[in-house]
Amino acid sequence: MIDVKDLTMTYKSGKGVFDLTFSIPEGEVFGYLGPNGAGKTTTIRQLMGFTNADKGTCTIKGLDCRTQSQEVNKHLGYLPGEIAFFDEMTGKQFLSFLQEMRGIRSNARTQKLIERFDLEVTPRIKRMSKGMKQKLAVIAAFMHDPAVYILDEPSSGLDPLMQHIFVDLIHEEKKRGKTVLMSSHNFEEIERTCDRAGIIREGRLVAVEDINSLKAAQRRVFLITVAGPEDIDHIRAGGLELGKVTNNQVEVVVGSDYDAFIKTLGKCRVQGLDVLPQSLEQVFLKYYGQGVH
Amino acid sequence: MNFPLFKSTLRANWIIGIIFLAIMFMYLSIILTMFDPDSMESLNQMLETLPAELISAMGFDALITDLASFLAGYYYGFLAIMFPMIYCIITANRLVAKHVDSGSMAYLLSTPHSRLTIVTTQALYLVAGTADLLILIGLAAFALSAGMYPGQLAVGPFLQLNLMVILLMLAISGICFFFSCIFNDTKYSLALGAGIPVLFFLIDMLAKVGGNTSWLKNLTLFTLYNPAKIVAGDFSLTSAVIFLAVTIATYLGGIMFFNRRSLPL
Repeated sequence: MIDVKDLTMTYKSGKGVFDLTFSIPEGEVFGYLGPNGAGKTTTIRQLMGFTNADKGTCTIKGLDCRTQSQEVNKHLGYLPGEIAFFDEMTGKQFLSFLQEMRGIRSNARTQKLIERFDLEVTPRIKRMSKGMKQKLAVIAAFMHDPAVYILDEPSSGLDPLMQHIFVDLIHEEKKRGKTVLMSSHNFEEIERTCDRAGIIREGRLVAVEDINSLKAAQRRVFLITVAGPEDIDHIRAGGLELGKVTNNQVEVVVGSDYDAFIKTLGKCRVQGLDVLPQSLEQVFLKYYGQGVH
Repeated sequence: MNFPLFKSTLRANWIIGIIFLAIMFMYLSIILTMFDPDSMESLNQMLETLPAELISAMGFDALITDLASFLAGYYYGFLAIMFPMIYCIITANRLVAKHVDSGSMAYLLSTPHSRLTIVTTQALYLVAGTADLLILIGLAAFALSAGMYPGQLAVGPFLQLNLMVILLMLAISGICFFFSCIFNDTKYSLALGAGIPVLFFLIDMLAKVGGNTSWLKNLTLFTLYNPAKIVAGDFSLTSAVIFLAVTIATYLGGIMFFNRRSLPL
């Protein structure tokens, strides 16, 4: 449904995307993972036909994204990463403007989405909070029931409840056979919704894998609080990968060896266990480690 | 041309047009009340007390004898080009560059319409807005003259004057529109889109002073527009054709450039 082939686009700064090739079959939810500045939005700009590529092509439904965007957009719902609306409009005016531009008569779906995300559409967009604007952007991307969604960091700015509603919405759309490309710098967000994910690093795609093997490659850091120094010694002896160690706390990095981890902890007087938040690079050291291309 | 977009552009920009229309109308009525066929001589005498260079810079030089030349001298030589010029600068920048700079262009381009359609619609708005502003002012001048000084306005020359000022301002609007289309930042689109017309305008004022500075007239588009000559029966077809050519070239250039370039959205 979405095909990217040898796509290269370099900015003056030397950043950009280089030789990207991937394709997303119809009905798949594809995660596009990378830290900030890795080239996620650059790829999406290409798919939206905003920028000219140096080399390579991208197509949606077999139509060229740059030259046939008019046709492509009939089947496309887009959520920009940096959202800029028409500030002088109210939420309601904006949605009905888009509806007119897309030539849709019925606003039943739009109305349902507004209720679902509990968005107040009467204030001017200028006066809306970041969360409200994000909700409005989600509704704008989904209101015309397109076959393909391109979502750039869709759940940023949504509170946990709204993120949950959003994840449900993605699951529903997937059941209805929609194709989704969703970028994120947060693995949890991708994990909850996607079938496969591509990992982008410095403009190059370093891996495209299904979500289960990514989960297996995921590394977590646990912060263990124990009763005393002798417990720390136990853990040191357990052959685990350790991070920072203090008097009664130790960071343990766990990839797939949960069994050894639990067994070692079983010998200790554990007083606390926390999962530390991590950046994408830390989660996927395998793909982001030095020298990996 | 996309009708919903045109409508929304109108909704976002009509107020600016109305403000300029109101200001221009106010000046028009003030200037018209100053016209007195019997005392033109005294007005001319009063002008002679002012420095000749200042009078020339404002374009007030011709001998004023009738209502059409009066309007050509006191209104169409200065006010009727300065205000529409500012209108073009502001509006052209809002139509394209502002949407690109803020990012709202992304929403326009994600609708099922080609870039060509989107940008052409914006261009048509500017053409219509600029022309309407001057047409409405022209009509107001007709109506006020008919009411205040029945039978005194020479209709033919006045129509020609209006036609020429519209062509001139369309060319200026084209320059503004072109720069609005080609830059990513409103900073640059405004610097050039406003800078060039304003520079033309200032050069024109300097050139009219005459003497050492008259060679400057070759550097500005405004030289081709001489209201006093038009009402005196000297309608320059060459000027009209050049204005039309500049209009077409700048609008088409802006549209084509916008259609091809990479946008920072």
